[in-house]
Amino acid sequence: MTGSEPLILLVEDEPQMRRFLRVALEGGGYRYLEAPTGQEGLNLAVQYRPDVILLDLGLPDMDGLDLMIRLREWSRIPVIVISARGQESDKVGALDVGADDYLTKPFGTSELLARVRVALRHADPQSAADPIFVLGRWRVDLAKRLVLVDDQEVHLTPLEYKLFTTLIRHAGKVVTQHQLLKEVWGGVAGAQPLYLRVYMAQLRHKLEEEPSRPRHLQTEPGVGYRLKLDD
Amino acid sequence: MGSTVDALIRGSGTIDVYVISGEPGREPGMPLLRRGITSPARNYLLAALTVGIASLLANLIFHRTDLADVVMVYLLGILLVATRFGRGPSFLASLLSVAAVDFLFVPPYFTFAVTDFRHVGTFAVMMLLGVVIGNLTERIRAQARLARGREQRTHALYRLGQELARNAESTALVVSAIQNVTNQFQSQGVVLQPDEHGRLQAPAHPLAFPLNEQELGVAQWVFDHAEPAGLGTPTLPGARATYLPLKGSSGAIGVMGVLPQGTPRWAEPDQRQLLEAFANQTALALERALLAEQGSRDRRRADEERLRNALLSSVSHDLRTPLGVITGAVSTALETPDLSEAARRDLLISAQEEAQRLHRLVSNLLDITRLEAGSLELHTEWIPVEEVVGAALNRRELGAEAARIHAEIPEDLPLVAMDAVLMEQVLLNLVDNAIKYSPKGTPVVIKAWAAGKSLTLSVTDQGPGIAPGEEERIFEKLARGEAAASRPGAGLGLAICKGIVTAHGGRIQAVNHPQGGAQFLVTLPLGTAPPMPEEG
Repeated sequence: MTGSEPLILLVEDEPQMRRFLRVALEGGGYRYLEAPTGQEGLNLAVQYRPDVILLDLGLPDMDGLDLMIRLREWSRIPVIVISARGQESDKVGALDVGADDYLTKPFGTSELLARVRVALRHADPQSAADPIFVLGRWRVDLAKRLVLVDDQEVHLTPLEYKLFTTLIRHAGKVVTQHQLLKEVWGGVAGAQPLYLRVYMAQLRHKLEEEPSRPRHLQTEPGVGYRLKLDD
Repeated sequence: MGSTVDALIRGSGTIDVYVISGEPGREPGMPLLRRGITSPARNYLLAALTVGIASLLANLIFHRTDLADVVMVYLLGILLVATRFGRGPSFLASLLSVAAVDFLFVPPYFTFAVTDFRHVGTFAVMMLLGVVIGNLTERIRAQARLARGREQRTHALYRLGQELARNAESTALVVSAIQNVTNQFQSQGVVLQPDEHGRLQAPAHPLAFPLNEQELGVAQWVFDHAEPAGLGTPTLPGARATYLPLKGSSGAIGVMGVLPQGTPRWAEPDQRQLLEAFANQTALALERALLAEQGSRDRRRADEERLRNALLSSVSHDLRTPLGVITGAVSTALETPDLSEAARRDLLISAQEEAQRLHRLVSNLLDITRLEAGSLELHTEWIPVEEVVGAALNRRELGAEAARIHAEIPEDLPLVAMDAVLMEQVLLNLVDNAIKYSPKGTPVVIKAWAAGKSLTLSVTDQGPGIAPGEEERIFEKLARGEAAASRPGAGLGLAICKGIVTAHGGRIQAVNHPQGGAQFLVTLPLGTAPPMPEEG
């Protein structure tokens, strides 16, 4: 180890989960740090300034949401929360107070590493500077406000374009309904999740090959949307 | 006043004290009395009039016959008065008749003087006859009245009995009892039933009158002592209503309260008896209904218990199988010294597959538990069907098999109010089912269409289809089609689908597709989505 690999902090109370994640993360080429409690996790975060934090929402000593809020008081370190299925509201809560993404147990190594890569990329200030976004058949020129599918220009309405570029800005990460409504519709009074769904459907019909089986513009039911990148 | 009551309550120790305040300024019985006066006055007047008419008739025949016939005419009048107007008027008529005969037909005419002593005997006999006729007819009338009253009461009881017998369910029965009491006694009725601690609960029946603390206290006393109390009884007569215990075979099972409008009709003994008979009949019917309900609850509980046991045994089998595979595969991979890389990989893949199966089973168990506990909360939003289909098809649980699924969703479908997470689960379960029970590589097709006020989603496979007669049963928990007997799974998936779809106010059906294979149809009600603003 050269010491230049990204440092991942895992806050998780289950020893077996820690064991599996250590092997997976070290195998993926990351340095690794672990804490079995929320308090210890906060201490380690202050002390070592990790590049990404993996946070289990079901900690014994403190509420995952509280920990998120306390962490966000002083730090922008990307946080990926880990939770079980059926706790959609917990996930949304954590995302809305500043978590970057989530993983639902059980998950595989490839999924874990993909999420960590996305989180690291978003933390890198240089990555946001590129005005050209390319994904599969899509090519988006953010400076010229041009959207091409298979080199053919596609016309998007201003709101569709705004929604699309918001997702591009968060590419690979989940974006909650609440976040999208705030960023795209801004101050419009009475903007509803309904608008979001209708505009997402329009985007899919204009950009996706098979709108009922979207490759990139994916829905995370009960949470929000994700512009999925190719692994 | 207050301090006396306080002292009394303080000093009463374990004795319950119910404070009932009296209502000054009301005199029950007055209206009844006034009505009693007006009607007889008219009768006496008519009695006098009848004697007058008799006099006219007698005058017409007097010159052709003798006094005996004249007396007959008057006796006829007395008889008429006695039968129509009762004893009092008939006495008056007798008196007036004697006077009229004396005055008009006995010499010297137009005086009350009597010269012939025989006439005094005639008058005495006439008077006696009048009194006897009056008494006799009065007795007959009283008997007729009694019989009519008895008949009315019998009829009322019979009607109550019939209506109570028609209602097997205790709440409906109580309502019908209250309605009968209300109609029969021109009053508001209420039936109070105790909770598990023996405290009476004020009912929520629309006809019921509201009970304040005091009235509830009286009712509670009636329930505890199984004796009537309240208005018109010796116990706690200051209450607004009369309360009767509903006596079952082992003590009171409830209390019937009757709040009169004006004077209680049950002030008379026969009406009071009728009210008590009403209470008794209601009690009998209510006890019968409560026992029957208890019985069916017990039966249902036994059924649930049996189902739970079956579920447990099925689940424990389904849990052990993948766990066995995982343990075996992993320990073989760990402990076999010269294992080829390919063999090791094979073992790990099977462990992974079984782990996924385990995950699905546990998820289903959690879902069915939540559904049955009734803790499932719907977070409905207006959602395009396409989005839910897309989310289900992107689920990694489907793995490589996802390639077999074809979705044909028209673009112009209306939005549906549904819970995105739960409906995705329904679709996933249906698709998963279709993949499991159809030959490898055959397509599974998802379609959607709107018709009238509903939207239908279909999942169709090209498997063996559903055995005849199983179309309903496969949605029951643990029930699995014949084809499923040899395959893993606890038979929960479709039961979950049905639970979720039903919670949405929709319907799920299984049919055999005309071209072969099974088809599952989910029909959801369509509402009116809020309008979308035009993008300007």
